[in-house]
Amino acid sequence: MRKQDADQDEPMVIGSATELMFPATRRSFVRTLLAGGTVVMLPSVFGACERREITVPGFDPDTDGPDPVKGVSFDLRSDVGIFRLVHANEQLEAAFYTAVVSSAAFSSFTAEEREIFVDLRDTEVVHREFVRTALGSQALPDLRGSINMTTLNSILSSKASIIAAARMFENMGVAALNGAGKYLQDARNLLIAGKFVSVEARHAAALRDIAPPAGVNANTAFAGDDIIDNTGRDVKLEAGAVVARVAATNLLLPGTLASPAISNGPTATQGVATPDFFPANP
Amino acid sequence: MENMQQPILEGIDPEIMDRVVSRRDLFRRGASMSRLVAQGLAMGSVPVALAAMAREVYAQTPADILDVLRFAFILENLENEFYKAVLGTSALAAQNNAFAPVRALIPAAARESLAQIQKHEQQHVDFLKAVIPQFGGTVVNITAADFDFTGGNGSGTGPFARATTELPFLLLATQAFEDTGVRAYKGQAGRLLINGNDNADIALESALRIHSVEARHAAKIRRIRRAANPSDTSLRFSGYVRGGGLAAAGAGNIANPPAAVVAALNLIYGGATPESNTSHVVFNGTAAATIDAATLSGLDVIGDQNARTVAATQAFDEPLTKEEVISIVRDFIKDDAARGLP
Repeated sequence: MRKQDADQDEPMVIGSATELMFPATRRSFVRTLLAGGTVVMLPSVFGACERREITVPGFDPDTDGPDPVKGVSFDLRSDVGIFRLVHANEQLEAAFYTAVVSSAAFSSFTAEEREIFVDLRDTEVVHREFVRTALGSQALPDLRGSINMTTLNSILSSKASIIAAARMFENMGVAALNGAGKYLQDARNLLIAGKFVSVEARHAAALRDIAPPAGVNANTAFAGDDIIDNTGRDVKLEAGAVVARVAATNLLLPGTLASPAISNGPTATQGVATPDFFPANP
Repeated sequence: MENMQQPILEGIDPEIMDRVVSRRDLFRRGASMSRLVAQGLAMGSVPVALAAMAREVYAQTPADILDVLRFAFILENLENEFYKAVLGTSALAAQNNAFAPVRALIPAAARESLAQIQKHEQQHVDFLKAVIPQFGGTVVNITAADFDFTGGNGSGTGPFARATTELPFLLLATQAFEDTGVRAYKGQAGRLLINGNDNADIALESALRIHSVEARHAAKIRRIRRAANPSDTSLRFSGYVRGGGLAAAGAGNIANPPAAVVAALNLIYGGATPESNTSHVVFNGTAAATIDAATLSGLDVIGDQNARTVAATQAFDEPLTKEEVISIVRDFIKDDAARGLP
């Protein structure tokens, strides 16, 4: 914290948009902004910003091209607000699997792995479109223009990193819905969450079955002791932890989510928070 | 009882107990902390404290919660005793012996997976057994002798008898039990949604977390079955349920399935909201809307309409009502209305 305070005294100078692609610069940029410091953008930055290169496969920037989104926040005091967070997760998952299926690495997948990832893509695209339709005017903007291509391309560079990222997404999806259910106020919406979560759990089990996390028994990984507690209950995360993990994937461009991303947490009437249960490497 | 209570301790944050018991209810209602609640908290025993709280602060738990938990308890016992019989660890020698032929056919890797599943079913039984009294209910004593895994209602010669001798049949039955469990919990979740009731919240979250474990189990069994039948693409490597009724079971590798088994599978993957359903109701705070997931815009990447419909069925798991579940499981449970067994 002290270091941040010191940084504030000197304005931060950004010479080109590319500089923001370096994690250290980006962190410093965001930190400086958050701390109320001064950022000087040289005119050269804006010259490079005319047209953002978006290469998410299955997405045509000329026809659907959404601009990068800034400051998305979630008000969890209603079912709609909770489903907006679900919409963010489903958008990221759908964009990720769509990219995986079109990636160069995909050709090195076995037939079994290809079947799993096409199933995953199809399911997450359905989830994304369903939640978008359900939310109507309350839906989140299209986040495909807000994908951090540096992070995405890095994940797509190997099968191992693709599967590890997929495991994180699916288990996080299970944990997020398991944690959110108690805050929903309408049984019809709870049922939708229930219809989603068991499908996410099937994905998560399949992915852990084909590639268990390091040190986990391959025959029990599908529902391993690292993700099922000793009362036989699955992973679970409160919304704050979900947002933190989404941010930690670095798959969204800095600033996509507001700070704080959760403008209002659930009220006491909606429910009480419980301890989270989620491993570092699901 | 002590070791049974221990796991629950870890599931509930003392801070929540403080918030639920001390601040919101006891003080606001002007009550003093009773000896039992105080003792429970002092012991660090959340179950004891919660039990006392449930009785003394809330006076009574909505009947729906207890009914759901008791129903789940019966189903979890059914699953647990089934796996114990399959693995040869049942307290009833006759059941261990019945499954001895098929047990010898289970590959070591699959056996380890089944043992992991059985461990979870036992944990679910123990969890519910500890939780039900906390909500003011009583737990009926259920043993292996209450079940007939052939689906013969006690005759031991029901339509699922081939599960004791044929591995593909055993795995089909296993998958059917797990998917029934997933659908049963999904159907009951809404009854645990009682706004402003913290007890209900705790029950609901636990039910959801057990529900997704059952889905992981079901996915693994489907994957084991697919590995043995690589060309049977109705069994997805992803562990998904595609379509509804018999087609969703992926029973193609079972030669001449008994008509009663086909009927059971049609119930297990069918019902008022069959697994093939693609229309779902949402409520935005003002109005309800029915959305057909097969005809949404933005699905182009999936392929033609047929592919989109298939994707829409696999993307949503569907619920069963309590009555539907009972009609499925009743022949696996020996009649005993006095103890609430269907």
